[in-house]
Amino acid sequence: MGENNKKSGKSILAKQQRAGWLFLAPATLLIVIMSFWPIIQAVFTSLKTGSSASMTWSNPIINNYTRMFADKVFMRSVGNTFFYLIIQVPVMLIIAILLAQLLNNKDLKFKGFFRTCVFLPCATSLVSYSLIFKSLFATQGLINTILVNLGILENNFNFLGNGSSAKVVIIIALIWRWTGYNMVFFLAGLQNIEYSVYEAAKIDGANGWKTFWSITVPLLRPTIIMTFIMSINGTLQLFDESVNLTNGGPANATITMSHYIYNNSFGEGVANFGYASAMAFFVFILVAILSLINMKVGDKRD
Amino acid sequence: MKRKLLSLLLVGAMTATMFAGCGGGSDEPAADNAADDAANDAADDTADDAADDTADDAADDTADDASDDSASSGGGSLTVYAWDTSFNIPALQAAADDYKANVNPDFSLEIVEQPDSKGVEQAITLAGSSGDYSTLPDIVLFQDHYIQNYVADYPDAWQSIDGIDIDWNDFSAEKLDYSTIDGVHYGVPVDNGNAVCAYRVDLLEQCGYTIDDLTGCTWEKFIEIGEKVYAETGKYLMTINADGNDLVYIMLQAEGESQFKDGEPYITENETLVKIVDILVEMAQKNVLYLANSWSDYCDQAIVGDMVAGVMNGNWILPTISKVEANSGKWELTSIPTIEGGEGYASNGGSSLYLTSNCKDAELAKDFLAYTFGGSTETYDNALRNGGVVTTCISAGKSDVYNEGVAFFNDQPIYSKIVEMGANVPIVEQNNYHYSARNYIGTAIINILQNGYSTADALKEAEEQLRFEMGL
Repeated sequence: MGENNKKSGKSILAKQQRAGWLFLAPATLLIVIMSFWPIIQAVFTSLKTGSSASMTWSNPIINNYTRMFADKVFMRSVGNTFFYLIIQVPVMLIIAILLAQLLNNKDLKFKGFFRTCVFLPCATSLVSYSLIFKSLFATQGLINTILVNLGILENNFNFLGNGSSAKVVIIIALIWRWTGYNMVFFLAGLQNIEYSVYEAAKIDGANGWKTFWSITVPLLRPTIIMTFIMSINGTLQLFDESVNLTNGGPANATITMSHYIYNNSFGEGVANFGYASAMAFFVFILVAILSLINMKVGDKRD
Repeated sequence: MKRKLLSLLLVGAMTATMFAGCGGGSDEPAADNAADDAANDAADDTADDAADDTADDAADDTADDASDDSASSGGGSLTVYAWDTSFNIPALQAAADDYKANVNPDFSLEIVEQPDSKGVEQAITLAGSSGDYSTLPDIVLFQDHYIQNYVADYPDAWQSIDGIDIDWNDFSAEKLDYSTIDGVHYGVPVDNGNAVCAYRVDLLEQCGYTIDDLTGCTWEKFIEIGEKVYAETGKYLMTINADGNDLVYIMLQAEGESQFKDGEPYITENETLVKIVDILVEMAQKNVLYLANSWSDYCDQAIVGDMVAGVMNGNWILPTISKVEANSGKWELTSIPTIEGGEGYASNGGSSLYLTSNCKDAELAKDFLAYTFGGSTETYDNALRNGGVVTTCISAGKSDVYNEGVAFFNDQPIYSKIVEMGANVPIVEQNNYHYSARNYIGTAIINILQNGYSTADALKEAEEQLRFEMGL
């Protein structure tokens, strides 16, 4: 190749680069103005106190941050959120992976129908499905009627008025709503696994259980990590279910972090934006840490 | 070359539209900051000046909101925020018609509907946060329990109605206690939060009681009757929404006590409060009290679902009771039981009209409020007819409309009774943390009932958390 060509190649590259930046610029600018700037503002707000008409720097400056660790309701909400996280995420992902495995079966009839059925809950809005679960589990609701008629319960039980059962209802609701969503990712992952690998395993005499654990799970690892991070992130920001199903009650037994933050900023009485922002940053840091751990543990790329 | 030109054009067009798009938006934060700083540094008067400065701009801004005459420009028109099309909006409409017909034929009142009372509170918060009060209407309807809090936090959002031509002695003193701050009147009462006890007289009769047995009785007697009613009819004599907890406050006020004393929580030391919590726990355990999980369960399941033989709350609950048409004529009202016996009176909820700092024609607004809600029987009669709004104005409560019997309540003239009872409500100490205190005590009751707390421990936790929230 001649020198001329090289030179013009370089200049083309430079031009392309310039064009690239030019195309990127508007979106970047928008993100900076619309997202990053408010985030930076929120950092300042989280260091302030008082009504939003006349906020002053809190004394000591990190008062809002130290305050939340002495706030029993907030600590309770952190505990509740982690309770949901620890129980719901693994159960949901295991069910999702098993369902995906079932629906990936080549000989299964009406596959499309079943897949749609499992995915359908994701099409409902968070508020409406929360309200439906609320009426299902109401004291005079469908679940109570069925359980009483079957003789499992003697009297109607107030599921949502009791701390532990209300938590269980929220977890059931979450599993119903999100399992299908995660299943779709697993299904996509499964379809990328060559069928010949399974055939080879069959010839070697591996049973279904062994194939699942030694072939499917390792090959699905990237998908599992991704769904894990998404689920952790989603659960830490859990809001609609707590607000609409139980309103945080009874006695704050089901309140989540986001719900408490909302209560402090737009909920009851006068807004306390400084404290609410500080708590929001706490959630932000938690999400970052948990995602980091997850990526470090799960990232075993060859 | 052509392609390059085209792409450049495209990029140019994109950026142009983007800047045009967010131009209006990006101006605002800057203005907000400036206003914030001003509010931070300066005292009230400078903020007032700033409000004046921006008033002219505001007139332009709100032009599309207010149809003809802008809110601030006067000329016989006012705007008001309210939130309930079947309750307080008809009352305001009645007042506007009254004023227009009898005083000022050019007058017009624009009622801007908000989704709920929170909508008004958020409008104040938004205006206060941005330091731009020009977005506010002339008058807002505001919840009584929150007003002191909002006046303290957003002092620049309001103006006092001093010098208004109203005979304050004609109003329930308890109601005025909310809207009077440091001796200065800020609001004109609209509705009446007077608490009532409503009972199913047919069910009481079935158990061998009359409503007189429940009038001025002790809570002990109430529980005794309640147990019998539940055993005979399967209905609860009382209900409560476990997450909001109106009852503690109502019962406490009927005793003339408050959850606060000298600005501090008064819970564990407050023997009356401890006793009331014990009574409520006993009532729940003996199936006299039904704990509904939420406000919607309280209304839809407990009351409209016909699970109860008695309801105690602000009289604004009566329309909810009236929804069960099958029970028409079977309900009657009376006062609240007390610990030692004797009739108790209390009030729960309710709202008043307040002037915002953005009201330019304060004279007109004051004249309008004084003529209508200051005691016009025409306003109050129509407010009652069209919206079921009961007044706290004593003389207005004596009109013919108020003295008519109501068929649903066994032809009892309930409205004049409510106004009459309202005059007896004792004034108790109010606090900005009213609802927080209620929530924590509600939590304490659940903890006693479900989580095995002792009354002392549960209330101690409630008091600690309330003190924590108040920063004490």
